[in-house]
Amino acid sequence: MDRAAFERAGGWLGAAGTTGIEFTTAGIGFVADASVSMAVDGGAFELSIDGEAKSWPSRALLKAGAVVDIRPGSLGNYGYLRFDRQIEVPLVMGSRATSSIAGIGGFEGRALKAGDVLALGATLPRGRGQHPTQAALADGPIRVIWGIHADRFSNAIRQRFVTDEFVVSPQLDRMGVRLADPLQVFADAAILSLVSDAVAPGDIQILGDGTPIVLMRDHQPTGGYPRIATVISADIDRFAQVRPGAPVRFEPVTVAHAQGLKP
Amino acid sequence: MNMTQSEPTPVLPLILPLGDRGLLVRFGEALSDEANRAAIALAGHIEAAAIPDVLEVVPNLISVLVRYEPARLTFERLAGEIRLLASAGDDRQSAGAEHRVAVRFDGEDLESVAGLLGLSVGDFLRAHNVAPLRVLATGFAPGFIYCGLHPETLVVPRRNVVRRQVPAGTVLFAAGQTAITSTAIPTGWHVLGHTGFRNFDPAAEPPTRVRAGDRVAFEAAP
Repeated sequence: MDRAAFERAGGWLGAAGTTGIEFTTAGIGFVADASVSMAVDGGAFELSIDGEAKSWPSRALLKAGAVVDIRPGSLGNYGYLRFDRQIEVPLVMGSRATSSIAGIGGFEGRALKAGDVLALGATLPRGRGQHPTQAALADGPIRVIWGIHADRFSNAIRQRFVTDEFVVSPQLDRMGVRLADPLQVFADAAILSLVSDAVAPGDIQILGDGTPIVLMRDHQPTGGYPRIATVISADIDRFAQVRPGAPVRFEPVTVAHAQGLKP
Repeated sequence: MNMTQSEPTPVLPLILPLGDRGLLVRFGEALSDEANRAAIALAGHIEAAAIPDVLEVVPNLISVLVRYEPARLTFERLAGEIRLLASAGDDRQSAGAEHRVAVRFDGEDLESVAGLLGLSVGDFLRAHNVAPLRVLATGFAPGFIYCGLHPETLVVPRRNVVRRQVPAGTVLFAAGQTAITSTAIPTGWHVLGHTGFRNFDPAAEPPTRVRAGDRVAFEAAP
């Protein structure tokens, strides 16, 4: 969900192959059966190794038998755990990623659960690892490009969409983030049915009852609800980390502007 | 200048950004055989043009998604290339493959669908299977196939109640189309029957074998 944080965790190690573990605010705990280097990043979680508190983000050489415990901290919905070894899961359709919705890929096509044992490959040839430092926290509105159905909404609704405040709801997963609409921006947005069309990550679809949903990395490939805007690539990672209850505002930018920005 | 009237002006599709890494070419607002054929044909032309830094071309029911690499290809340049391809108005497409799909017509909604259309089950199935259908699009779920369009005499709306899950190989019917599932999905379509035909194998390369524009001949399983 937060690709930049996944990349940063690999950067602290210098080499982490293509694999890693994404965890939510449920946290994660594990025991290292053999000595291995790990790095963590994404949001701000509480990390301890053998009961000793460590900083976040972090890099550590774990001894065989080390007990690692990660619990939710002050920021973010998603964190990343990577090793200086590839996590050995089969390559499915060119990827080692997990689609838990389709039940394909990764570790048995599902989220990890207590008792699972992961195999790690050989230590990867090491690049130049960097000392972990906290990434700068961007703030401000989430930037969007007007969507493929923006013209189906009235001027008044479009205007309110980019001025009024929404709130991230607790209903969020890798497929989408439901927003609360306390100012009822979409209460009267009656849209006739649409022919199903391609979906992009970041698309903001409006359900029949006026609920906005921001479609995320595991979005469905096609959808029939109207989409008013699309979160730009540079802001999807940041949006994924906004916690339930936090306010969010949207700001329209041009495609050319969005393409000139780095995540 | 001598303007000839013989060539009809092609209907130009709408070209829209879909985020900052995608471009959507849409033919109208409603599902029609014409719009669907135009979308599939244009997807073929874009593939054939092999435009550098185009990552993926996906035909949908009435549109084409083009994913591209924005670091090397701007939206405007890509839109310009696609406008030229579309303005050729060439809606010919390569003849697709034909797939024969044997169906056990034992679905729980078969009788109610026939009833909605004022037909006996036998007459409905004869009308349904009389000619191969075109694959309008694939996707939505892995390997899912939309076939159509049926004539207006065979159109029923979706069900009011969504079934939480139907298995892979379920043959569905609604909105002038017949669909085949290749994974278990929730659906609001009517269940006509079941088939051993599968269009998704994650271990195969490619994992799906049916393409938009192919034809599907439905027949009652012996």
